[in-house]
Amino acid sequence: MTIPSTAASAATPVSTDPGGSTVPGLRLSGISKVLGGRTIVDDLNLDIAPGEMVSLLGPSGCGKTTTLRLIAGFLLPDQGRVEVDGAEITSLGPERRPSAMVFQNYALWPHMTITKNVAFPLKVARVPRAQIKERVAEVLELVGLSHHADSRPAHISGGEQQRAALARALVQRPKLLLLDEPLSNLDAKLRVRVREEIRDIQQRMGITTVLVTHDQEEALSISDRVAVMSEGKIEQVSTPAELYRAPATEFVAGFIGSSNKVRALDLGEGEPGVEWVVRPEDVRVDPEGMPGVVTRVLPHGHYSEVAIEVRGTDLRAFVTGEAPAPGDEVGVRITRALRYRNGTLDEAPVTVSA
Amino acid sequence: MALPPVLVILLFVGVPVLLAVGFSFGMTGGLNRTAAMIGQDVFTADGLITGEAYAMLFADPRFPRDLAATVLVTVVTTLLVLGMAIGIAVLLRLRAGWASTMLSGLGVIPLFIPVVIASWAILNFYSGDGFVRSLFAQFGAEAPIFGFTVTGVIIASVWVNLPFALLMAASGMQGVPDALIDAARDAGAGTATIVARVLVPMAAIPLIIAGTFTAIGVLGQFTVPYFTGPNAPQQLGVDISKYFQSFNQPQQAAAVAVIVFVVASGVAAMYVWANFRSAKQEGRV
Repeated sequence: MTIPSTAASAATPVSTDPGGSTVPGLRLSGISKVLGGRTIVDDLNLDIAPGEMVSLLGPSGCGKTTTLRLIAGFLLPDQGRVEVDGAEITSLGPERRPSAMVFQNYALWPHMTITKNVAFPLKVARVPRAQIKERVAEVLELVGLSHHADSRPAHISGGEQQRAALARALVQRPKLLLLDEPLSNLDAKLRVRVREEIRDIQQRMGITTVLVTHDQEEALSISDRVAVMSEGKIEQVSTPAELYRAPATEFVAGFIGSSNKVRALDLGEGEPGVEWVVRPEDVRVDPEGMPGVVTRVLPHGHYSEVAIEVRGTDLRAFVTGEAPAPGDEVGVRITRALRYRNGTLDEAPVTVSA
Repeated sequence: MALPPVLVILLFVGVPVLLAVGFSFGMTGGLNRTAAMIGQDVFTADGLITGEAYAMLFADPRFPRDLAATVLVTVVTTLLVLGMAIGIAVLLRLRAGWASTMLSGLGVIPLFIPVVIASWAILNFYSGDGFVRSLFAQFGAEAPIFGFTVTGVIIASVWVNLPFALLMAASGMQGVPDALIDAARDAGAGTATIVARVLVPMAAIPLIIAGTFTAIGVLGQFTVPYFTGPNAPQQLGVDISKYFQSFNQPQQAAAVAVIVFVVASGVAAMYVWANFRSAKQEGRV
């Protein structure tokens, strides 16, 4: 058995200003919020580098939307500080913060045309009319909505409404872009396309961005880093690859991707307080391995998810090519695993030699 | 089957309306014959119609003043009612608390008090020997008299019409999703901008309904101006009764009714236009 261990989470990248000190695009220091007697956000700390896109990912009720509303200023924290580009904005309302938000249901005003929706923040800021016209045209071009400039929100599709909401946020040239589950109302195919568009625009404009989502595929595919939240706390902040490869806690391991939880790699009793997490792609069907019986096969197109009972334990394996049939007797080998002691990562990854 | 109710409406509403309109323009035959025979100063058209009854009305300098006073009371009352209803509804929507709850509760109380009792109470409250004057007199001050004045009519009209407008405005604004208000705040808008650019336009239809009903109600009201208003100028609702009963001029009374109807039609046309515009915006037509 070879055990190349890695760090559980990536260090927070922050920029260095000309003076030499580090100035994050967004800094949350010790943020807490109690709502209705329940602690929703609990002593949360997060630094996001300028131009970085970080996703807050977690199950419903984990506090990710509350955190975003604390960043936007719709809620004020009971404790802690919010800083944007080094400036403290903890007690400012949303109208005075240098952030712009894209809402889950887009929140376009139905009585205004797309142009008027997008121009609204600039009108409120008393930007000269000629400049408003120019900036609105520019941002509508950027999101590909110029042809719908005079349409009303009710007359355009969900994807277009989403882009109009994005345009309304971008036209403000915010220092911080906040996205509150912006893709959850789109169909699966459109979601993939729009998220790539959002990522493309975000990278081109270099805006520090926070994305709230419960969709791990969305978070992993377009973020520089992902913060996995549970019960008001951040469990781990890492790059998507690191998060999948070396989840810092059992919660993260269970939340990100599919996994098998076993007591020992030989599926025996194991040690007290120790649990192993094995990704299905690390469970190989091999005639030389432990004997097992296939109980179920779920085809997923280019691969199949195969449930195999091995020594009284159910294991899930991803099998590419021809999958065994239910009832087949197969051999099973675990090639890689993550070892957790008392819920936190102990050694990762553990490569099991044949 | 829709036919029986339609027939009932045609028979008991449509026919009398047409007869009255025709009567005011000098059609004194047929079913109008009895009224024409009993009434004074009835003009009969030589040809199809005559506007002599209207000419007689406008020849009396009191009538244009009555018309102007009625329009003034209608406009001012409607604006005040809408202003107060919007104010309380905005307070309920944006700053929900004991103050807004209390105001909205107080605002609908007039709904449960008969207009005739309220009118009498308001007259006594503001009259020369009323509560307000007596209270001020206790401190050696003199309060203005609103009993039997146009101002008194406006105060009482606002009291009577506020509950419906408030219910409409409050329901309209409660229907505006939080996200649309949050989006405006996020875009940098203060409370005044949110009210003017988001809440009021989005509650436009209920507000227009409230405004239309208030305007048409005040335009033709009788009880409130009869109790609280001055002898001159008088509201057209009181005028109709006066021309019909006191002066025995049913044709002139019908002419006043037609004038009230024309003004009310203008308000109704605005309502239809606003509804159509809103439906177009939302893509329903």
